[in-house]
Amino acid sequence: MNERQQSRLPMRVLFSLAWRNIWRHRRRTVITLSSIAIGFGLAVLSIGIGDGSHNSMIRNAIKLGEGHLTVQPRGYLEAPANYKYIAAGGSLATQLAALQINGSVQPRISLQVLASTASNSVGAVVEGVSAADDPRTEMLRPMLLEGEWLQAGDERGLLIGYGMARKLKAKLGSKLVVMAGKQGGDSQAQLGRVRGIFDSHMDELDDFLILSDLSFARVFLEGEGAEVAQQPVTRFAIFLDNEEQLAHWKQRLQESIDQSALVALDWREMMPQLVQFIVIDDAGNYVFLLLILMLVVFGIVNTVLMSVLERTREFGLLRALGMGRYHLLWLVFCESLLLSLLAVVIGWLVGGGLHLWFSRHGIDFSAMMAEGTTIMGTFMDPVVFTELSAERVIQLTVIIFGATLASGIYPAIKAARVTPVAALRT
Amino acid sequence: MALLRLEGIGKRYRQGEVEVEALHDINLSVTEGEFAALVGPSGSGKTTLLNIIGGLDSPSSGSVHLNDTAITRLSEAELSDFRLFQLGFIFQAYNLVPVLSALENVELVMVMQGRPLHERRERAEHYLELVGLTAMMHRRPSALSGGQQQRVAVARALAAGPRLVLADEPTANLDSENATALLDIMHRLSHEEKTTFIFSTHDPRVMERAERIITLRDGQVESDETVATPHHAS
Ligand SMILES: Nc1ncnc2c1ncn2[C@@H]1O[C@H](COP(=O)(O)OP(=O)(O)OP(=O)(O)O)[C@@H](O)[C@H]1O
Ligand SMILES: [Mg+2]
Repeated sequence: MNERQQSRLPMRVLFSLAWRNIWRHRRRTVITLSSIAIGFGLAVLSIGIGDGSHNSMIRNAIKLGEGHLTVQPRGYLEAPANYKYIAAGGSLATQLAALQINGSVQPRISLQVLASTASNSVGAVVEGVSAADDPRTEMLRPMLLEGEWLQAGDERGLLIGYGMARKLKAKLGSKLVVMAGKQGGDSQAQLGRVRGIFDSHMDELDDFLILSDLSFARVFLEGEGAEVAQQPVTRFAIFLDNEEQLAHWKQRLQESIDQSALVALDWREMMPQLVQFIVIDDAGNYVFLLLILMLVVFGIVNTVLMSVLERTREFGLLRALGMGRYHLLWLVFCESLLLSLLAVVIGWLVGGGLHLWFSRHGIDFSAMMAEGTTIMGTFMDPVVFTELSAERVIQLTVIIFGATLASGIYPAIKAARVTPVAALRT
Repeated sequence: MALLRLEGIGKRYRQGEVEVEALHDINLSVTEGEFAALVGPSGSGKTTLLNIIGGLDSPSSGSVHLNDTAITRLSEAELSDFRLFQLGFIFQAYNLVPVLSALENVELVMVMQGRPLHERRERAEHYLELVGLTAMMHRRPSALSGGQQQRVAVARALAAGPRLVLADEPTANLDSENATALLDIMHRLSHEEKTTFIFSTHDPRVMERAERIITLRDGQVESDETVATPHHAS
């Protein structure tokens, strides 16, 4: 027997030993697992609420704003101006229609103006929309306090917010002088009539937004030198039926438009403040997740380390009988691994269960946020339905599994360091 | 030819400033099939010597040979495998893995040796029968008496097919009836299996069963006598 005989420990035996070992102190294991599961469940819930409310804000912001994707003149985002418009709006509309985007493409005209009544003047933004089918209609129509919605082709009709109406002392039917500066330094003005007053509870809209039909706003572009026949617009707002296809359609748009004059931007680029707000708000959730992870790591280290220290003698025995150092290391690591697996599974059962319930029934925050539902020019629905994307599931699983595995390293090394002589003497 | 050869074994422990000489120039040889007792007062070096023979501890000087293998020259990993394949151990207490049944405890060493399932199952059952525990082989250690647990340890040591079984005070935690019963089993198996045993003890009634008594005092061999007709139970 020149060939050295080496010890073996088949996986099956290793795992069966490890499995039995973690149930030696049933109570302790159950307590550890339930604390991890509850902590993880709460983390999943809080992240689900965060994602749910953010997504609701984003969806509302997209509907109230410029769509999932926006095609507008290059440079407009950095420095908006009334003279930056798409002169040949009609032909671009045809071109965009040819892409057959799953969703709708809305022509829009944005203008920075001064709105005046006999009593007062305020700076405002005119948003000329296709009165009949623009998604803003769907969002703001229910918020109409008085009056009625714009009719297509209404060249005088204006909708203003409650805040602006108060400042201008404007009522239904009041005349509004809308004045805009021209590129040359002159100015141009049009007379409009208040057809309706809305109250969105969002100061950004109620105080500054004037909605009109495209035909009203287009007159100002004409004043800047555009030809009405070419259907000039400031931008096209594109609303996708499936937001997952954002990247795909952005790419397609970029390929098809004249990139020297136009840009295709997604909502993140259009609303950087909203993105920033969400990042900051998410940070709070990550802090919570971090606390949970610390609890998990502490729980596993505590449980496994305690059991390692209790079993010093037994490890000494196993080493004396010929179990190799690495096998012992693996054995203890497997115990952590099994605990981790159980923790992740039970954690997901709890977290997933909470998520399933609240994604269906929602959590009503209306009592908690009497005012605070509007942020960054958008709003959060008071009833939040938790959301959990596949990426989140993977992310959370990897994080918790990684953390629990990492916590198994130290106890395993500790066990492998046991020397039989010292251990058996105790 | 001698199975085990100890040459000039010395062991010194340093405890702070003081140096304790636990063993001093031990020379011994043990032939195959011997049933030898290591006796001596507390602190005389019995455990230290058994640990060195078993490769659990290394001597400060001298060498240990088991057949052709110089144990004292093996690396730590080699020693571990050497213990697994060549040696059997029986300790004073807590010999068994608590989460495994008697049968599984006996099998565990053979699992690590890489023996196939049917072979190790057969051997485990056979040796458990030899120590009289067939009826209890599915019990966990906590459901066995101290004497039964030690008998499982004996079965485990022998089932693995070692060249030498080392037992450090295997009867220390047993009452005298169980102690003599265990020794009788060990003695019988030593003969039947032609396995060499070295065990340490304080107990005169246990000593009686030995065929050779090596007495240590202050880390040195005081006497080494072969007993002509040891008491035999069966
Ligand atoms: N790790 C150690 N550090 C320091 N001294 C030690 C160590 N191990 C043993 N000794 C000393 O070595 C000597 C021999 O001890 P050993 O345990 O071998 O005796 P023993 O014959 O087995 O005693 P007992 O019958 O009580 O088990 C004693 O003086 C003891 O104090
Ligand atoms: Mg001793």
